[in-house]
Amino acid sequence: MEHLFFVDRERGIRKTYEDLLSELSLKRSIGHVINSDKSYEVFIDLVLSLINGVEVELVDSDLSHNEIEALGIKSIDQRYTFGDAHWTAQNSFADLLDLIDIGKSSWRLTLYTSGTTGRPKKVTHTFDSLTRSVKIGVNHKDDIWVFAYNPTHFAGLQVFFQAFLNMNPIVFVFDTPRSKVFDIMQEEKVTHISATPTFYRNTLVTFEKPVNTIRRATSGGEKFDPYIETIMRKAFPNARLNNIYASTEAGSLFAAEGDVFKISDGIADKVRINQDGELLVHKSLLGQSVDILLDEDWYHTGDIVELTDQKQFRFVSRKSEMINVGGYKVNPYEVEEAILNIEGIEDAIVNSRTNRVTGSILVASVVRNSEADHIDEEFVTKELSKILQQWKIPRLIKFVDKVELTRTGKKARN
Amino acid sequence: MQEKFLQIINDIRRKRGMKPIESLNRDLNLRDDIGFDSFDLAELTVRIEDETGIDIFENGIINTVGEILDALKG
Repeated sequence: MEHLFFVDRERGIRKTYEDLLSELSLKRSIGHVINSDKSYEVFIDLVLSLINGVEVELVDSDLSHNEIEALGIKSIDQRYTFGDAHWTAQNSFADLLDLIDIGKSSWRLTLYTSGTTGRPKKVTHTFDSLTRSVKIGVNHKDDIWVFAYNPTHFAGLQVFFQAFLNMNPIVFVFDTPRSKVFDIMQEEKVTHISATPTFYRNTLVTFEKPVNTIRRATSGGEKFDPYIETIMRKAFPNARLNNIYASTEAGSLFAAEGDVFKISDGIADKVRINQDGELLVHKSLLGQSVDILLDEDWYHTGDIVELTDQKQFRFVSRKSEMINVGGYKVNPYEVEEAILNIEGIEDAIVNSRTNRVTGSILVASVVRNSEADHIDEEFVTKELSKILQQWKIPRLIKFVDKVELTRTGKKARN
Repeated sequence: MQEKFLQIINDIRRKRGMKPIESLNRDLNLRDDIGFDSFDLAELTVRIEDETGIDIFENGIINTVGEILDALKG
């Protein structure tokens, strides 16, 4: 019997686990750095690095060319070569899992996450820190996963390992036009989905009927709210809903039904909430990184939470100034810097404005000098489009005489 | 209001390098016909809110121009 592995209808790709095994047998080398916008290739490289137990870096496909250069990855052109591998097309999936079991202790995966200083943070995960929340077992053997995250992001990797380690099919819809997603989900008889609230907000409204095959639907990466819950219940009437708290630094830590997260007994002594209400996570739960600042073994998540009882909490807000635009975290300082680089602009401040489509969008107040009348909203947008990804471009730009300052002399942020 | 609404749509299209549309028809789909993505729709909703005080997505599903016009009528 064939076991479906990866379906991407937009690109006409349909691969089985048998295809994966035979493609792995042909590979004799792998780059130290995985930098591809082809999801299937990324997944093959991940598995190849795992069975060989090597350290690889995965470059976020959202990073711009300049950002990748700024990472200063030294090994970008280097490759591991494996010679005549112990791996042949005759091997089975069980053999593959055996090799992963050996390779995983020396395997490391480095990711880059957007940092508040403008330079992405480098975080290295072990197999265990990356797959902490993966559940393997006979209960999961018939799962069929909708893949709705960027495969180079932490959440995408979680879904990949959950599906792959259970030999489940992955139905890729991450960049599929929203209007086609319903038919794909219906025809592939998917049972599990994990996606951001923005994906749900924008995709589920195109559904004219529910998808009855979905048994579990997970939301992650942004704040969950009652509206998301309502549209998810309507689209997936037979599903259990849950909501995941995860970060690139710490991996997947808590799950909730609704918006109240449970702190499980296993990690209760590794999580605490300080007097400001900020959630702190013990370093033993984190990936390895020199870029993560610790406060006596504790990592400050930047999330302000409130306890609903001893073991449960709810999100209140973000302490950090990063703005979440449709699931993409944007550092307003980076955008301000780009605006200030436009000739004729004297000052700028970037804030967020909430809406029901993408959670937030960026809005900017800009001061132009007296000789810069040619600078209007369209001009600024076009200039920024040359250097920034589209979610980093303010969608409302106001021209003002001066940028408001607070009493401490800082720019006033909303 | 319809004129203002058309102007907002065309302002967004122009910034994205798309040609203006000449008139609005209730059946136009915001994504498929007008060519808006999520970021464009987010901009559209806040610009309409600034003009009218109405959050067009308040009651959830908005796919067409007609649904926005209905939301604006209240």
